[in-house]
Amino acid sequence: MRNALLLSLIALSVSSRFALSADGPDFAKEVQPVLAAKCLKCHGENDPKGNLDLRSKAGMLAGGDSGPAMVERDAAKSLLLQRIAAGEMPPKESPQLTTEETALLKAWIAAGAIAPDVPLVEKAGKFDAEGRKHWAFQKIVRPTLPVVTEVAAIRTPIDAFVLKELESRGLQYSAVADKRVLIRRVYLDLLGLPPSPPDVDVFLADASPDTYERLLDRVLASPHFGERWGRHWLDAAGYADVGTTDNDAAIIHPLENRWLYRDYVVRAYNTDKPWREFLTEQLAGDELVDWRNAPTYTPEIRSSLIATGFLRASADDSFERELNTPVTHFAVLQRTSEILANNLLGLTVNCAKCHDHKYEPISQKDYYRLISLVQPVFNPDKWLQPKDRVQPGISPKEQEEINRHNGEVDKQTGELQGQISTLQAPYQIKLAAAKLETIPPAIRADLQAALATAADKRTEVQKYLAEKLGPSIAVKPEEVAAALNETEKKQVSDLQKQIGEKNAQKKSWPNWQVICEAGPPTPTRLLKRGNYETPGVEVAPGFVNVLCDEKGSGVFGVTDSTTQRIVDAKDSRPPYGSSGRRLALAKWLTDETSPAAHLAVRVQVNRVWQHLFGKGLAETPDNLGLTGSRPTHPELLEWLSAEYLQNGGQLKPLLRKLMTSQVYLQTSAVGPENIAAAKTDPENRWLWRMRLRRLEAEAARDCILAASGRLDTTIGGAPIPVEPKPDGTFVIPEKGLPTATSKWRRTIYLLARRNYHPALLAVFDQPNLTMNCTRRESSAVVLQSLAMLNDPVVVEQAAALAERVEKEAGTAEPMRLIETAWQIVLGRLPSAREKQACADLLQRQTANFVTEKQPPEQAAHQALTQLCHMLINTSEFIYIP
Amino acid sequence: MFPILTRRELLRTSALGFGSLAFAHMMASPASASPSPQSPFPSPHFPPKAEAVIMLMQNGGPSQMDLFDPKPELTKSNGKTANVETYQLGNSDKLMASPLAFKKYGECGLEMSTLLPHLGSIADELCLIRSMYSEHNNHTEALVLLNTGKIFPGRPSLGSWVSYGLGSENQNLPSYIVLRDPEGYNTSGTLLWQNGWLPAQFRGTEVSTQGSPVLNLRPPTPLAPAVQKENLDLLARLNEEHRRSYPFDGELETRIRNYELAARMQLAAGDILDLSKETQETQKLYGLDNTETAGYGLRCLMARRLVESGVRFVQVFPPVKPQSQPWDAHGNVKTDNEKICLKCDQPSAALISDLKRRGLLDKTLVLWSGEFGRLPVSQNGTGRDHNRNAFTLLAAGGGFRRGYVHGATDEVGYRAVDKRVSVPDLHATVLQQLGLDHNKLNWLHAGIDETLTDSRVTGAKVQGELVS
Repeated sequence: MRNALLLSLIALSVSSRFALSADGPDFAKEVQPVLAAKCLKCHGENDPKGNLDLRSKAGMLAGGDSGPAMVERDAAKSLLLQRIAAGEMPPKESPQLTTEETALLKAWIAAGAIAPDVPLVEKAGKFDAEGRKHWAFQKIVRPTLPVVTEVAAIRTPIDAFVLKELESRGLQYSAVADKRVLIRRVYLDLLGLPPSPPDVDVFLADASPDTYERLLDRVLASPHFGERWGRHWLDAAGYADVGTTDNDAAIIHPLENRWLYRDYVVRAYNTDKPWREFLTEQLAGDELVDWRNAPTYTPEIRSSLIATGFLRASADDSFERELNTPVTHFAVLQRTSEILANNLLGLTVNCAKCHDHKYEPISQKDYYRLISLVQPVFNPDKWLQPKDRVQPGISPKEQEEINRHNGEVDKQTGELQGQISTLQAPYQIKLAAAKLETIPPAIRADLQAALATAADKRTEVQKYLAEKLGPSIAVKPEEVAAALNETEKKQVSDLQKQIGEKNAQKKSWPNWQVICEAGPPTPTRLLKRGNYETPGVEVAPGFVNVLCDEKGSGVFGVTDSTTQRIVDAKDSRPPYGSSGRRLALAKWLTDETSPAAHLAVRVQVNRVWQHLFGKGLAETPDNLGLTGSRPTHPELLEWLSAEYLQNGGQLKPLLRKLMTSQVYLQTSAVGPENIAAAKTDPENRWLWRMRLRRLEAEAARDCILAASGRLDTTIGGAPIPVEPKPDGTFVIPEKGLPTATSKWRRTIYLLARRNYHPALLAVFDQPNLTMNCTRRESSAVVLQSLAMLNDPVVVEQAAALAERVEKEAGTAEPMRLIETAWQIVLGRLPSAREKQACADLLQRQTANFVTEKQPPEQAAHQALTQLCHMLINTSEFIYIP
Repeated sequence: MFPILTRRELLRTSALGFGSLAFAHMMASPASASPSPQSPFPSPHFPPKAEAVIMLMQNGGPSQMDLFDPKPELTKSNGKTANVETYQLGNSDKLMASPLAFKKYGECGLEMSTLLPHLGSIADELCLIRSMYSEHNNHTEALVLLNTGKIFPGRPSLGSWVSYGLGSENQNLPSYIVLRDPEGYNTSGTLLWQNGWLPAQFRGTEVSTQGSPVLNLRPPTPLAPAVQKENLDLLARLNEEHRRSYPFDGELETRIRNYELAARMQLAAGDILDLSKETQETQKLYGLDNTETAGYGLRCLMARRLVESGVRFVQVFPPVKPQSQPWDAHGNVKTDNEKICLKCDQPSAALISDLKRRGLLDKTLVLWSGEFGRLPVSQNGTGRDHNRNAFTLLAAGGGFRRGYVHGATDEVGYRAVDKRVSVPDLHATVLQQLGLDHNKLNWLHAGIDETLTDSRVTGAKVQGELVS
């Protein structure tokens, strides 16, 4: 931002100078546009032709290979104008300067060529020094705890940081929330599922002082934790089960076994894999293990390879012939590194594809350095279509073994087939001869000659003969089979059975959607204006300059000029037949000496805060750059980051610390005790109460299924299909599912498309993953209300819920039914007023439903279904309290 | 004490940094919590010339040199070799004269194909832009460009920007409505009415011309009105009770009001489909009495009814059968166009003339366009391949010039050469007619002040010559 400001100040001062001065045209307003339009394409910022940079006066004076381009105040002697006048520049095929434009340049030079000393477009190196000062690019240093007044309100150091800001505004924490609220909050935040009534009872009955901590431990250990927090990561990584841009509702291209990566993520969250390990595996799992030479894939190798599915998030349409073009190839490559930067660095680097970033200290070269790290995988020079990008899910040795085995089987079946042929041969010959007899003798020889000639070599006459008469003399296999005697038939049948048995012994292997470099890397070139048709200078593999320490990127790897491999400077481990570039990238992003690693930790920790508190400490989770939001509590973000680093980058201890803090434990509700705070901070920016948060799409659906009791809690496996319906909606089909309850699996296991989601999920802001998503929208549109009222999925579950309520209540007594329903759906008993309102509804709806055909019991059941449906529709149900 | 009803929105909007203009409109939209003032333009950037847009999508790539842009030189050069950028297989390098005839229509003498007699009959209302150009030869990219300004999916569509900028005039309906063939989606489907990173309420809402007009508008099995009312009354009581603990969470109020809107929409949306109020003459005008034109005609008629009801942006899609890109004449320029013109000509023209006679054309802009044009050379013998370098767009009403031809292609219709209009140029001009400055209608996304036209990159400019 400061750079942008600086530049605009320069521009302002220049133009104001000319507003006052009568001598000569304004450089910024008049001269520069002419140069930009006619000259800078070649003599601009990147790889200027003839080493002549015409962006600034300094550049013109310095000149290029042919000497200075300008002599001040002497247009006639200025090479720039000489070349233009001679018609040599711009080159013939390029747009020429008009007479007015040439006159303008002349007048500008004659008047002394007044212009700012720096190019109007900054060079990359310029903003390094400035950029290095940015808060998010500093090393994480654990801050000292602030001094606060109300020490008693502090449960964890986190509370001190938040309280300091509160106290400075005359605010206080709100009271700790009710235990029923806490257990619901914890379950929804950690699992995305509500606590069951027995869960609630156990928690309420436990009066020991550490009951809450033990609750946290229990819930953190649940295998459903990984489904909830893994989903957050899958968003950030841009995960989809389909490989294409997914732009046709009716055409679905799921990638075989893509879901193995999804399950890897769920497992990694459940086992709380440390950050460095988690990230390194995903970026460079194939460079960590010697999978090429392993006799068999160990669990470690499997996990390392499957983890690299992380890099397969970019949509790739090159499977289609029409789209298997450089445009697509470069887009996949670029999108891959843009998703990485967005997810891991919290920076939007996309602008730097075409030019140096205007607001962030990211140069165009930085962009292509990042590109170079993934280019060996997505190499436009050696493009692999998605079908060729898959990797066998077994070791090369095992593949060889299987191929050998299958070859052996083929050999054996070939022999058996030979025996059949031998048996059939005499009959074949006899039948053929008999058929030939049916052909007039005059053309028999010709026909035989025609059939003996290759189809494309036949003469017109031969073609006619072959087509017309060929079929009538061809002997069909069934004719031969029928001609055999009984013994022979039995023999053939036995042989065929043996062939079938042999073939059943053939083996195959699954394919995985993982990463493998397609041979040695080729040079990465900066693309002028981002266009692959105009490649510029070669860019050596490296990192974003401003996120490297003073020694530069060499610390994390040195490029070997002959092999183009990055050799780790500290670690001589070979990258197992790979370029090592991604291993270097992982190191850059995780090594404690790397500024990038510190930024990456901040980005992650900020998102953890966002998932628990609704907003990040910095509210732009995908932008911690100069243009991003400053954190509300900068020191707290540093403290949490330091804490995360110290505990080895494990999430669960961090969550435990956060969730045992007063800031998390306090109530979200407003009452007489805390309403005064609203006068100072109505938006609750400073967290004097917990924030009320709407459930995400997946959690909303999962909670409905949990309430109805229908939720199938199976973990992992191939995605549950989702199909388009003729009316344009998407549903789980009734037929063809693995089990009867598969349609009630958790939402994370539904087929993940980019653009087409079941209506219930789409209206609750399930994102379209054309790229990735680090912050879910939380909209409140009317279609949500309509979906909750009328979507067949919700209506069906309301009916199931009513059945569950009747069963668990064990009575038809309305008050008991109402209480049971509330406990299941909302985890609490209704107040007297709420209970009365529900009782009134049951009574009136029962009356509404009673007909001659429908006895009161059935009517009462239908009335209960209505009540259950409305409880699911309440705000209380879809908000985390 | 506090303006609690709108606080949440206020927070969100100020945090994201979008301007007071859009905020004011957001407040005026039906999904917002505020009791919307009936003022559609609290503070436009310019005096608006139009209040609503109907976009008649004609996807597939209508052939400009066969329908809208006669090329005598192409006829003369029939069979001569030409060097053009082709896309698919089966292209020859030989120019192909149009097998179709042209005719002068209206007082202005607008030349269009004889296959378009109905559009011809309203030629004096049309602004024909013959110098449109696209950036991509693939349907999806070009369609996404036409609707969002860039070829990559993920950005908000023109309709989203318009409803974000202007809000809705109608409390009972969403401000951006999509009318597609109930038989299915045209190519690219929902990508063409996405809200991108604009809030979800600005996404196009699909309204169907058959069955339930709005998704989930009614329960899967009907419920008696009395039962529904009892349900919603209880829900309102429970939600009000809950809301007492959260007086500062405005989203809860929005949610309560959304349930009221949902109930109102059941009635209003039913009304949209109620054609009993339309005369036989009007129904005939749109071709509802003819199986060829009935489907698309009904959508055009509904578009008029929606605009009359205060909807800001209506996107109408052509038939999906026999193919989901109906203007994609790869096989036979003559017969393919004969078939699709029969379906689309009359209803498109009916909409414009119907708006005109009701006095609505002055404040309603109708756009008729495909995503790209076609090549002057032949493909598969009698067809034409995609051509991003030129296409023709028809505009009517909303202050666009009447009976006017803008720009020109080269002598064989391959490339727009005179007064070229890019898609972002068109968008800039459309927004201007609605009173919106394309450089000011913005949304802060990922640290960038995004606009529909992204003029810093695209160089988009309002094309002043298009409007009167």
